[in-house]
Amino acid sequence: MSILQKIKNTVRSRSIHVAYVDVGSCNGCDIEVLACLAPRYDIEQYGIYVHNNPREADVLLVIGSVTPQWVDKLREIWDKIPDPKVAVAIGNCPISGCVYARRGTLTSPPAEKYIPIAAQVPGCPPRPTEILNAILSVAPLIFKDYEEKQP
Amino acid sequence: MRSIIYYLREFLRPEWIRKFFFAKTAPLETPSYFKGYPTLTGNECTACLSCMMICPAPKAIAVLRTRDGWEPEIYPGHCIRCGLCVEACPEGVLSSGRILDVTRRDGTAFWSWYHLQVDDNLCMRCGNCCVSCPVNREIDPQLAGSGTSSSDEVIMRVEGGRVRILHEEKCTGCKTCETQCPNRAIRVARMVEGVQIGEAEV
Repeated sequence: MSILQKIKNTVRSRSIHVAYVDVGSCNGCDIEVLACLAPRYDIEQYGIYVHNNPREADVLLVIGSVTPQWVDKLREIWDKIPDPKVAVAIGNCPISGCVYARRGTLTSPPAEKYIPIAAQVPGCPPRPTEILNAILSVAPLIFKDYEEKQP
Repeated sequence: MRSIIYYLREFLRPEWIRKFFFAKTAPLETPSYFKGYPTLTGNECTACLSCMMICPAPKAIAVLRTRDGWEPEIYPGHCIRCGLCVEACPEGVLSSGRILDVTRRDGTAFWSWYHLQVDDNLCMRCGNCCVSCPVNREIDPQLAGSGTSSSDEVIMRVEGGRVRILHEEKCTGCKTCETQCPNRAIRVARMVEGVQIGEAEV
C-alpha cells in the first residue's frame, strides 16, 4: 500500500460526512440524531459532519418507515450521493416498520427494498451512542482503500 | 502560492492536528441502568404469554419452545424498548435496566382479566363453546358427558335459548371456545389495567 493511500485512509476515517433523510418517521429518531450533534455526544469530535445535501455526503442515515411519497425519492437521493457511499438505517421503522407495520397502514418498510442498507441500528428510538457506534464502525470499512478496490 | 502556504501552515498547527486525529472524549458507553432490550434472567418461563399479549409492537416478542422448556425471544428490529413485557411477566423471566426496581418501589402492577363477549346476531346457540370449555368441564363433569348443565358455577351455559356468561372471572383465556365456535360469535379479550398493589388485592 502506498503512503499516499495510507494518508488517504487516515484522513478519510476522520472526515465522514453524513446526510440524513426522514422518510416518514415520528421524529423520535430525528431528535436522537440531533442529540448526536449536541455537546453531550458531539459527533464532530469523531470527525463526523452532518449535512443536508446528499451530494456532499458519504453516509446516508435513513429514518422512518417508508411512506409512498418517499419511495421514488429515496432512490433518487441515494443515486445523488457520490461513491464511496453507505446507507445506515436508524431505528426500527426502516428495518421492520415497527408499530407502523400493521395492516391498513400506507407505509412500505423495510428501506432495504429501495436502497442497499449497510448497517441497521435497531431501537425505538436508538440511543445517540448506538448511532455513533454504527457510523464509526461502518464508515471505515467502506472508505478504506477505496482506490485499490476499484477495478 | 500564498494560499498553499496558508493551508500548510493551518494544517500543521499542533492544535489542529490534535483536534483532527484525537477525540476529546472516549465514545460514551450506554449506562447499565438504562432501559435496553429485555434480556433473559434465567428464571423458568411458564409460557403464560403475558409478555406477548401486552407487547404494543407487532412481532417484537415470541415465546418459543426450546429443548428444556419455553423461552421468550426479543427481535430488536421490532422491539420499542417500552419494558411492558418485563413488567407484565409474573415469573421475572425478563429484565431490562431498572424497570423492576421502579415497579417494586412504586408498588405498581398489571391487573388482567378476561372478558367474554357473545355476539347474539352471529350465535346460533349450538353450545359448542360451553361444552368445549375446559374449565366448564372441570366444574361440571356432567356437561362434558351430556352437554347439558344446571350448575350455576360454570363460566357459561346455554340458558333460555341463548348463551349466558355466568362467571367471567373463572376464564383462563385459553380461547378454546373461540376456536370451537363455528360462527366466530364468541370473543375472548384480555383486559389489562395498571394498578397500585393495594388496589389489586381489593
